[in-house]
Amino acid sequence: MASSSKRQEIWLYLQFPLLSLETLLPQLTPEQQSKPIAIIGHQKNVQQVLCCNSQASAWGVGKQLSLSTALALCPELLTLSRRAEQEQERLQQLALLAYSFSPEVIIHKELGLWLEISGCDRLFKGYDALLCELQNKLQQQGITAVNGLAENPLAARLLCKPSFQTHLPSSQQIQQSLQGTALYKLETSRKQQQSFKQLGLTSLADLLALPRSALSERFDAELMATIQQLNNQRPFTATRFQPPSSFYDLIHNPQGIFNKESLLFPMKTLLQRLCQYMIARQCHCLEMHWRFEPLIGESKQMSIRLSSSQNSWSMLLNLSRLQLERQELPRSIEQIILYADQFIEAPAGMFNLDLFGEQTDNRSSSDLIDSLNARLGAEALFQPVLKQENLPEQAGTLGLANQQTTTATQIDVSYGKQTPQPLWLLDKPLPVQIRNQQLYWHRPLKLISGPQRLCGNWWQNEQQRDYYLACDSKGARYWLFREAMDRRWFVHGLFA
Amino acid sequence: MANTEIISSLLTRQDTWRGRNLRLPRRTLGTGHNSLDLLLQGGWPTAALTELLPRRLGIGELSLLLPIVKEQSSSNQLCLWLDPPYQPYAPRLAAAGIALDRLLIVRSKNPTEWLWVAEQSIRNGALLLAWSGEQHLRYTDLRKLQLAAADSSRAAFLFSSIKTLTDPSPAALRLELDSQSVNQLQLTVRKLRGKAPGDRLELNLDHNSTQRIALNQLPTGQHHAYGSISASGSGN
Repeated sequence: MASSSKRQEIWLYLQFPLLSLETLLPQLTPEQQSKPIAIIGHQKNVQQVLCCNSQASAWGVGKQLSLSTALALCPELLTLSRRAEQEQERLQQLALLAYSFSPEVIIHKELGLWLEISGCDRLFKGYDALLCELQNKLQQQGITAVNGLAENPLAARLLCKPSFQTHLPSSQQIQQSLQGTALYKLETSRKQQQSFKQLGLTSLADLLALPRSALSERFDAELMATIQQLNNQRPFTATRFQPPSSFYDLIHNPQGIFNKESLLFPMKTLLQRLCQYMIARQCHCLEMHWRFEPLIGESKQMSIRLSSSQNSWSMLLNLSRLQLERQELPRSIEQIILYADQFIEAPAGMFNLDLFGEQTDNRSSSDLIDSLNARLGAEALFQPVLKQENLPEQAGTLGLANQQTTTATQIDVSYGKQTPQPLWLLDKPLPVQIRNQQLYWHRPLKLISGPQRLCGNWWQNEQQRDYYLACDSKGARYWLFREAMDRRWFVHGLFA
Repeated sequence: MANTEIISSLLTRQDTWRGRNLRLPRRTLGTGHNSLDLLLQGGWPTAALTELLPRRLGIGELSLLLPIVKEQSSSNQLCLWLDPPYQPYAPRLAAAGIALDRLLIVRSKNPTEWLWVAEQSIRNGALLLAWSGEQHLRYTDLRKLQLAAADSSRAAFLFSSIKTLTDPSPAALRLELDSQSVNQLQLTVRKLRGKAPGDRLELNLDHNSTQRIALNQLPTGQHHAYGSISASGSGN
């Protein structure tokens, strides 16, 4: 037993016996789903049933039955071949889900997961509540799981029961059931199993009762290591699961999606997965990309940039929906892909503790910018930009809002307080007529103040302008200038 | 009970009549001009749409709102300008003390978009300055904006064409802006809740903008290497 000074570890082993079936189920129509289904895999050149649904079991179809026998038992049987890659992807997703329960998750290649849950009871208010919550989450994902609990990973796997236990067994109970475990469950070579038989060993208790020195003479080092692991004398060194650094997920829909409304449901599922990923990694995303792939033809990309980091799926869905309204999509969409690789650490103060709720205002203003961006496109949003230039059209420009780099603080704006400057600047200076030796723009103009001399950069355009404030008889004020070179008058702004 | 919630949310609204003296005091935002505050019974109404109808452009109609824009930007809140008629001149805004990064200028492509942006920005707590431009806004559209402002307790400003002065409007305040002489802005209250229309006010805008400088006192060209240009410009 482990020494008392070390914290007692509790390992949970999750096995997904129907994973190969449940990975493929969402891609079937509801009609097909209600039929008896079996997943077929190759084993030594024989096609075998790997797992089947309850409808198929009712016909007598079971694991390890050959394909021809299964079809003979149930002629209506829908057979699907195993997709190992998709299964592994699904297992990764489940590992991510498990990661939100415990920081220590290990993926077992044979469709299982290990979780070390000894430190997680307080968060979930007890181990039983944790197990119940985990079961709920897995059921929501449409996944059947069975589990085993013990003080080390190996024992947890050996004690995996055919049902999901939601109660943590006591140390004695674990020991008892471990003693009774049959030896064939150990992952050992055939030769070793053979020698167990020859020695008349059937359960783990028989094996452990033998003196250790006798065992090491008779068996190889691997088995000794296994026994040490079972006795908590050797740490489990398998690599721990780490969430990947970017998020990539897709939903496959072979029937095709024909309108935007029906796209929203799979998009919501993907966004929920993204948010789960972000919660697990404690990060927020800044940008995400959608790709809609039709069966034939070109796929459609859609990128969503956020003005401030986000991790709420409803907000992200809303933005995606707004942007989707502007998009021309292929007629039938077969595959929806969501990709995100720009993340930042979640801000420390995720909860608004400010008494005056200033943060909420900031939040809602960046939400507003995001939804404007999504609905109107980035090319419709501008911000005024200051530059250290002499000519007005270069000193004050409009820049696209999301490419803003604020430099306003470094620029001296004090001179603007002394000389009059207009609020509106015309896109292009417009020539002013001279009638009866008086400037004329809609009405006769009178110069009331100025001039202020502004020069362009001689290496760009050799311009020197004298700016005047002018008004007409009705009180409208304009910003006029006269070019030094050809002495023509222009109106360049309005004092609104 | 949901009913008590509805009642309490109704009681927080300014436009709920609660007997003689029980109405919440009218919340207003200072305009930055004492005489104007007096005319408007405290300042710009919050939780309401304010319609400004300038007779001409260039008479100082926008500088009327600069104090409130400055206040909004200094409290780090967004100010959204929807379809301004010209490009806002950044140096002037910066000189007025407005944080440029809290200013967002939106150009809409059609009336539906215009209305959507206006409503969204009011509901999300931004200060909206909208220009209706040439488009004709229906009463129901304006009412949407007025309701959004009332729901979110925000002030919203709309510059409309003077041609719509005779049309009915749901705005809480309608001000006609005119000018007869330089730096004199004439404000006429066309509609204000709780007050008879017709009040008029003359507002002085800038005082120190009427200095003439003799051309020969001007600095010559800033780039002395190019003396030829500055010499040719200083004649007259």
